[in-house]
Amino acid sequence: MQILDKKRLENALDKLAGTAEVFLPVKKGTAQSGFYSWKTFDKEQDTLMLDALNVLLPPKNVLFPQTEKMYSFKEEGEGIEITGTYEDSKATIIFGTRACDAAAIERFDDVFLTRGYEDTLYKSRRENTVIIANACYEPGQNCFCTSMGINPTDPAAADVIIRDTGDAYIWEALSSKGEKVTGTISGLLESREVKLPELKSFNTIVDYNGVAEKLKNMFEHPIWDRLSQTCQSCGICTYVCPSCYCFDIQVKTRGNQGYRFRCWDSCMYSEYTQMAGGHNPRGDVKERFRNRFLHKLEFFNERYGKPLCTGCGRCIAACPAGISIAEIISEIKEADTDA
Amino acid sequence: MHNGNCENPLVPGVVKVIDIKDETSDVKSFFVKNENGVPFNVMPGQLAMVSLLPVGEGMFSVSWQEDQEYLQFAIKRVGLMTDELHRIEIGQKIGVRGPYGNGFPVDECKGKDMLFIAGGIGLAPVRSFIKYCFKHREDYGKIQILYGSRSYDDLCFKDELFDKWPKEKDAEVYVTIDNPEEGWDGNVGFVPSYLEEINPDPKGKIAITCGPPIMIKFVLKALEKMGYSDEQVITTLEMRMKCGIGKCGRCNIGSEYVCLDGPVYNLAQLKKLPPEW
Repeated sequence: MQILDKKRLENALDKLAGTAEVFLPVKKGTAQSGFYSWKTFDKEQDTLMLDALNVLLPPKNVLFPQTEKMYSFKEEGEGIEITGTYEDSKATIIFGTRACDAAAIERFDDVFLTRGYEDTLYKSRRENTVIIANACYEPGQNCFCTSMGINPTDPAAADVIIRDTGDAYIWEALSSKGEKVTGTISGLLESREVKLPELKSFNTIVDYNGVAEKLKNMFEHPIWDRLSQTCQSCGICTYVCPSCYCFDIQVKTRGNQGYRFRCWDSCMYSEYTQMAGGHNPRGDVKERFRNRFLHKLEFFNERYGKPLCTGCGRCIAACPAGISIAEIISEIKEADTDA
Repeated sequence: MHNGNCENPLVPGVVKVIDIKDETSDVKSFFVKNENGVPFNVMPGQLAMVSLLPVGEGMFSVSWQEDQEYLQFAIKRVGLMTDELHRIEIGQKIGVRGPYGNGFPVDECKGKDMLFIAGGIGLAPVRSFIKYCFKHREDYGKIQILYGSRSYDDLCFKDELFDKWPKEKDAEVYVTIDNPEEGWDGNVGFVPSYLEEINPDPKGKIAITCGPPIMIKFVLKALEKMGYSDEQVITTLEMRMKCGIGKCGRCNIGSEYVCLDGPVYNLAQLKKLPPEW
């Protein structure tokens, strides 16, 4: 097997960064952790977080930026002209993503690349991105990916999988993209046999089996009143979620020109579904809360054949009200539906 | 960044407003085309995103496509974007992208008698199918149109309602307003109760309805009472939309995206969805 000694890691990152922009888990000074570009890494202040299971923010901004320009326009008298469209096709590497976040990218592929329309902005980024995933062997406190059907040691959508054996990574290329990227650091890899780590047991296990099916008859169930009671509708769950993809389209105008951009939105905000005439189908917190969890656990499943939760546990850690999707799954599983 | 024709489905094409017509005090029809004719072909009931580029975009049903001559949008002034839209003048260029959504099942309805029931601006989408039926008159049976508004002034498409449609072959037009008015000798009352009064026989008929949520609710009840099956009743839904292509998330009802899978559903399909419509 091919091995990358951790002593050569920075050297390898430098080499990779010579061919593409490399995003990897970093804690930026005292700020939040997330996926940041290796070229902005400041050894004095920043901390490499490859050993952390999940940095605060997932790598979704790499493929789906929090805000991105779509097209620009210019107005002149009665006339209006689309002066340009934007597309990002620069070579990119997501290094060290975990199985939950890689599975979320798989779901983004479903949303943005299938069902009639291809999202060209996403597509061009996705095609030019190589995913180097870091297999997990020691689940964290809030991790429950296996419960959602995800294999933490064999991340989906990965072009390369790295496996941490302590002082070295096992390096395994899985696709032609992965082999190409491996070529750029081949001089740093050595060939020897090491023992594979063993997957430790999970602290959080939920039983999702049958939940999507059961939820079909639980739209009017009283459980939503109780579960949503403490929700503050702040939207942090959607912000930290690797698989939440809802977006808004807005405009920035200066003088007679401007551009239209899209940005992340949240189904937890009432404006999300507020119509111009005043009608709002999900005006109350309970309705938005219910829609979010049904989307995650039932609706997405119906449409794309998999749940829209990958068990990363970020929303559980981030929620100011202590709402846990893992507990909600268990509550649904146990709920009495005969009443 | 590149210029010219791009494949991004979220980027609009530019069209020119060739005519504007006041339908009511707060509804205007906008007729648009580009140098090649219509920017795209639409089927009755389909949607398009209209953008006043510096202000905003809004999803509207296309009230009519006149061959390759123009697209017509009948738009009510209800918010920021439509307020700005109502200020523009003939000659202005605006953005438009589409068509979106499934549209009315024009082929499945062939050979049927048609009952159209609309309230207020809800006539805008329904009208596209009414006009389609008249254009393909031999494909459809008897055509009944029931339309109501708050007042005479609030009735849209008056020339068609009072002059054109009643003269079409085998067509009946019923118009009602909410309250009595001087000079109005037509029916007074809400659409659902007028519907029960007319009591159109469900046999061989398809009912198409659109209007304010409260009107739809009572129209559906009335139709059920008259013996219409869930498959015979079709409506078109409204939800907030941004992308129009089933990606941005907000227009979902259950696992359906109204912009892509809808906006037209029959009652049997709607009853399978969560009651958020």
